[in-house]
Amino acid sequence: MPVEKTKSAKIFKIRGRVVTVNLIPGTKVYGEELIKEKAVEYRVWDSWRSKPSAAIKNGLKNFPLQENMIVLYLGIANGTTASHFSDVVGKNGLIYGVEISGRPFRELLPLAEKRGNIVPILANARKPEDYEHTIIDKVDLVYQDVATDDQITVLIRNCEKFLKSGGYAVLAIKSQSIDVVKPPKQVYKECLQELEKYFEILDKVELDPYEKFHLFVVMKWKK
Amino acid sequence: MQAYLVKTFIGIFALDENRKVVSFRPFPKDGSDVASRLDEKEPKEYKEIKIELKQKGFKTFVDDDEKSKELVNQNLRKYAIEYKFSKDVLEFNQFLSKVNQEVSKRKIKSQVSRDSLVINTNNAIDELDKSINIFVERMREFYGLHFPEMDRLVSDHEKYAEIIKKYGTREKISDSELKKFAEDSMGIEFTGEDVGIASILADNVIELYNLRKKLSDYLGNLLKEVAPNFSALGGDLIAAKLISRAGGMDRLSKMPSSTIQLLGSEKALFRFLRSKGRSKSPKYGLIYNHPLIQNSPADKQGKIARLLASKLSIAARIDYYSGEYRGDEMKKELHEKVKEILKEK
Repeated sequence: MPVEKTKSAKIFKIRGRVVTVNLIPGTKVYGEELIKEKAVEYRVWDSWRSKPSAAIKNGLKNFPLQENMIVLYLGIANGTTASHFSDVVGKNGLIYGVEISGRPFRELLPLAEKRGNIVPILANARKPEDYEHTIIDKVDLVYQDVATDDQITVLIRNCEKFLKSGGYAVLAIKSQSIDVVKPPKQVYKECLQELEKYFEILDKVELDPYEKFHLFVVMKWKK
Repeated sequence: MQAYLVKTFIGIFALDENRKVVSFRPFPKDGSDVASRLDEKEPKEYKEIKIELKQKGFKTFVDDDEKSKELVNQNLRKYAIEYKFSKDVLEFNQFLSKVNQEVSKRKIKSQVSRDSLVINTNNAIDELDKSINIFVERMREFYGLHFPEMDRLVSDHEKYAEIIKKYGTREKISDSELKKFAEDSMGIEFTGEDVGIASILADNVIELYNLRKKLSDYLGNLLKEVAPNFSALGGDLIAAKLISRAGGMDRLSKMPSSTIQLLGSEKALFRFLRSKGRSKSPKYGLIYNHPLIQNSPADKQGKIARLLASKLSIAARIDYYSGEYRGDEMKKELHEKVKEILKEK
């Protein structure tokens, strides 16, 4: 099977499916398929379970995640998506994962232990003050996947504290969490207007049919 | 001379007035040890570094200096390698991850409270009820082949199961009412093996009912501990369902009474919000099953729901913040107010 390259150096496609190079060969994280190709083991990045993968499938041109990056992940949950991020940033990269709920940590903690490049932080992303001393770096990329109506504010506040100047921010806007009553298109428009004050918008794509009413946005910090 | 002290996850740094690092005391290289030192205000190394600094001539010590903290954090990777705490960035990152795993573990432990047990028990009862229904249906279908008449005569499921377990075939039933029908039943004959299977099904049904009783007794005890006032007003079942829907006592205690009133009717509420007033707003959610609402005329139910919800929200707050038992007087007050509402024309 041919391994196709994508715009992001460490993310590939095999037969149309998005894959990453397995950081710890031989282990699965959430029951995904492993494909071995010329002595390299790839993990299939399930588009139905992970939004960045869905976005890449839906034609996102620019996904800025690269090797050796330091990433702040807001809403890391049990680490399905984060495990692929961990593949991409590699052993010398680092992912700070913030999650408010203790329940998903049952899966996240063993994952962090195995991979060594995920820093789990049990905290509320609305209050970056609570974990500002845990995060000792300025990060290259902030990724946000949380279900709150104030997700835009949360993102901006975290970027102000932790994002490098000229760094990237990637988020999935959940229109149903922001306002169920308004039509999604209108919610997207309002969010983008707000975001444009702080970011340069590089790319955006809707996640249908993988996730309904979600807009995936890639941005660059103006500061 | 003044020194700034900065606690990081690899140890304690001391900076002089010009914010240059003058000393460093490493923590032990163990995630769990570091996690407990981060909790402590003055860990062992903190005291040690103070003594050392005093000898060097420093008199005053400043802990919470934002500028020093930022400075140290920015250079922490560099320092870790300089002071030979980690041999490279990779090892440093892994240790950072390790420490935060420990910190999270500790936080999780303190985060889970007794009301998580209420939520889980309540869910277990809900699921058990579904299972009981499935098993009962199968048991009745199966034994109905042998003695179809009994299905209508014994409506209580537990009793039905006990009859199968006690007598086996219909001919052995000694209950006079049933015996009459058993004599000329239209069911087929059951062999010993058939009866054996029927009584296993019956056994399981009885066991499931026993489990349900145990769970609901347990739930009652839990609620007395976690939410004494709340459950006194709402009744065990409704109280447990409300706590479960709200996601715990802390959230419930912070909810306005109008939210408690509508917990469980989210679908109807959002239908109303979406329709911009074309459909009606719901008046009650889970609390609809409360006897005070059930036993009132339809035109008063909305008003009583509002009253009940307001009292429940007060009770939830007492439970969560003080725990003092005032259920009986609150109940009395509630019943009096309901009487007044019912008297209104």
